[in-house]
Amino acid sequence: MSAVGRVQQWATFGRMWYLFDAKWQNPFHSADKIKDILTGTHKPIYHDLNDCGDHVVVINSSEIALPGVEWEKRVYFHHTGYAKGASWTLAWQLHHKDPTMILRKTVYSKLSKNLLRRGRMEKLHIFPDDKIPDSILENVSAQLRQMRPIPKRLDHYTREEVEKFPKVFDWPKDYIIK
Amino acid sequence: MTTKTWRLFWGSGPARIPLQNGVGRYVQQLQRITFKFCKTHGGSLGMREYIEKDLVEFARQNPGVVVYLKPRRHRSPCLKAEYLNGEDDYISTQKHTCEDIQKWVEYLRCRSGYPVEHLINYHHTDHPSIQGPWTPWLHRDHKLNVAQYPNEELSTAHKLEKTATEELMELYEKQKMLTEMEKTS
Repeated sequence: MSAVGRVQQWATFGRMWYLFDAKWQNPFHSADKIKDILTGTHKPIYHDLNDCGDHVVVINSSEIALPGVEWEKRVYFHHTGYAKGASWTLAWQLHHKDPTMILRKTVYSKLSKNLLRRGRMEKLHIFPDDKIPDSILENVSAQLRQMRPIPKRLDHYTREEVEKFPKVFDWPKDYIIK
Repeated sequence: MTTKTWRLFWGSGPARIPLQNGVGRYVQQLQRITFKFCKTHGGSLGMREYIEKDLVEFARQNPGVVVYLKPRRHRSPCLKAEYLNGEDDYISTQKHTCEDIQKWVEYLRCRSGYPVEHLINYHHTDHPSIQGPWTPWLHRDHKLNVAQYPNEELSTAHKLEKTATEELMELYEKQKMLTEMEKTS
């Protein structure tokens, strides 16, 4: 193979590192997007026998937003293998124990169930906050767009902006707020 | 069924190379080649000619390959190749000419050491690409090359519709403008 051809092949199979900010994101929707990149199905060269998955670095996983009543109602099951070893952990409890676990479990369950599953999970790097080791950050060369906009909280507006905002409704003067 | 099991069962499979050899750098898979021949017999004539004419040049071109010569009386000549993965290959060169042996030596040198098997899929196209293969950096926005990560601008989701707050502000501005117009008129 010529030198140019060799570099061409090198470039085609080059591995990318994507950054994803999980702040205020639904982990179940985000996992669909992350899964495609871990398996490499977003590439035109994708093939079953072709190892072309990319790395994904997820930050702010402690600030994910579960929809509806999922925090209280979603249950994660674990069995130690011994008698009476079953345990059920609620999503909010699991998130309290390990803020990366919900996202990791979600991506793991969305990946196809075959021998490549563990290897693909190794390409997923989750961090609970925005502190990433330099050895990982130096590889990152692109960022994935979030799935939904982050709303601005009332306490993040300045006092001036809040006062300037048009008043839509006001209580009557003789109304007593309990 | 994994590809390995398929190969064991059918003796065929897709084309393969050991550990992406040749992408980046190439590691010589042929480790040792033994030329076995007779010094007197006619069947070894081509082999003796090859040894006289081309062997030194071959050894000089391939410093990673160990070359052995094994003369033995009244036995037919052959080539024995041993590879990095532990496999070996044997080729009888009885009554072969010097040119034939050159081709067989080249064949052994270029092999990966995996057993020769039927290819189940031939990668072939009548219309080879003019622009070259795709790469992850094809049609990539140039500003991404100098972007600092994490980057909020590249991260925020595309806004599809107005928020209630924005709509309210718009109504307020419109109302304010109307009252001002009434005042002036």
